[in-house]
Amino acid sequence: MRPVTTTSQAAPVPAPVTTPPGRGPAGPVPAPPGGGRRRGGWLPYALVAPSVLALLVLLGWPVVRDVAISFQRLGLAELVQRRTVWIGLENYREVLTDPFFWTVVVRTVLFTVVNVALTMALGLAVALLLAAVSRGVQIGLSVALVLAWAVPPISATVIFQWLFDTQFGIVNQVLTGLGLDFADHSWFATGVSTFGVITALVVWQAIPLVALSLFASMTSVSTELYEAAAMDGAGPWRRFTAVTWPAVRPMALVLTFLSVIWDFKVFTQVYGIRQGGPNRETVTMALYAYQKGIGSREFGTAAAISVIMMLMLTAGLAWYARMMVRSAEEEQ
Amino acid sequence: MIRRRGGRTAMNLVGIAVALVMAFPVYWMASTALKPSGDILSTTPHVLPFPLTLEHFHTAVTRPFFLDYLRNSLVVVLAAVALSILTAAPAALAVARMRWRGRRAYLLLIILAQTAPLEALLIPAFLVLRDAGLLNRLPALVLTYFMVTLPFTIWTLRGFVAAIPVELEEAAMTDGCTRLGAYRRVVFPLLAPGLVATSVFAFITAWNEFMFALVIMQEQDKLTLPVWLATFRTAFGTDWGGTMAASTLFTLPVLVFFLIVQRRLVAGLSAGAVKG
Repeated sequence: MRPVTTTSQAAPVPAPVTTPPGRGPAGPVPAPPGGGRRRGGWLPYALVAPSVLALLVLLGWPVVRDVAISFQRLGLAELVQRRTVWIGLENYREVLTDPFFWTVVVRTVLFTVVNVALTMALGLAVALLLAAVSRGVQIGLSVALVLAWAVPPISATVIFQWLFDTQFGIVNQVLTGLGLDFADHSWFATGVSTFGVITALVVWQAIPLVALSLFASMTSVSTELYEAAAMDGAGPWRRFTAVTWPAVRPMALVLTFLSVIWDFKVFTQVYGIRQGGPNRETVTMALYAYQKGIGSREFGTAAAISVIMMLMLTAGLAWYARMMVRSAEEEQ
Repeated sequence: MIRRRGGRTAMNLVGIAVALVMAFPVYWMASTALKPSGDILSTTPHVLPFPLTLEHFHTAVTRPFFLDYLRNSLVVVLAAVALSILTAAPAALAVARMRWRGRRAYLLLIILAQTAPLEALLIPAFLVLRDAGLLNRLPALVLTYFMVTLPFTIWTLRGFVAAIPVELEEAAMTDGCTRLGAYRRVVFPLLAPGLVATSVFAFITAWNEFMFALVIMQEQDKLTLPVWLATFRTAFGTDWGGTMAASTLFTLPVLVFFLIVQRRLVAGLSAGAVKG
């Protein structure tokens, strides 16, 4: 969902950017009768005040604290004595000169690229498949997709550990049955192989949102367009590039963007599978901040890592936020 | 025509195969949970859970503290959802129905909050809650989940309000309703399904949340179900039957809720497409 949003992959579907404006672009935005702007001009402010207050306190304050802590030395000693020791950029210097940090950054970016690419490619393939099958299969496939989507990430993590279990896991049993040498094969012996399982897990749960959303935007294309294209002698590939793709492109962009954010900061699945193991080989940025802070009680360093994470995501966020606000404005 | 029909059959076969692959992990969880241990720890897979047994569910729910964890999860999640809806509903009304200075900035704030990398706020959230003496206390998680669910609750409800034709309120006001009266008598009843769908989604998000619960609640009787589930395997060794039963119990309410509201929520989000 997520999200949603949100934090979870089960975040709801984002509002489509191409939502047709409710009452046509020419019509002025209806000012509520009674004149919201003249009389009772304070009402909207009173209505949003609690949410603004909540967001500033619960979300804004931690962000401010995070930035502040990233300039402090805050270990267990300082925490217990409630001392504030400002050390300037020392935490950033420590983080940025740590070779392991750069390993983690490169690894996280690679993980994001691979997962987003797989999610979008497979999601699009499943969307096209949904459009190509007969009605009964379409319903069955949709139900299967919603099932995979709805499973809580932590349950999914536990399930995948069982599927890929060394001794009794069904994956090894099936592969062995196919004549491959997978008896007692350990999937969690190396970082790459463990990342393979994590990727399978993340992509499996991410495909449904992408496939169902892209399929929804495909169905908005009128069949006449396809017929016209076919009459002009366009083959399946040409019909895809000339008719289908332009229709789904805006939605695909939003989904790609959301996937980048979700995969970049993923925590639950990576932590759940092997806590960053074996031998710290699957530690990603979110996990690294956690281990530095909660694990080693180096809160200053952990805060600096968090700030760097936020900065890395900010550029993309700004673009996405602008697009969403614009689509919301159109709806009014 | 014949070629096309052949293509359709092939596509259907691929579609069925993909559906089976996508659904398999869920099936395997439930199937494992219902099998006798001997069939689980076997070198040949038993595809069907036959004979059936409920012993693993019994093992799971009789684990120490299970009821505490269930209660913790329910209390925290329900309180957070209630707070979220109460805060978000008025805000959604203001955003979808009124024009005011700063509305655009407010929308921007909500979107930024919704996409904010909460994973990067784990450390400061932990320290703020620690300073407030709230670690290992349920209100800490209530506030956290309120923060996690609020932005998308506002955003989603905004979509539902926008989908209600303004003409209905105008008609009510022509008939002598006050503006607030029109909201209460016309908008609110029409918004009820949207409120339910949004609450359910907030519920699922908070129910599934793992990272903050892991860090904020560390005393043994203060865990929530996701953290219990994650530590289950370590506590149980190789009792995959028990683990899958626990996982099924935790997943089932989410699956049911999700299947019920999924369609409505997607519809609400594509709001605005509703013709007046």
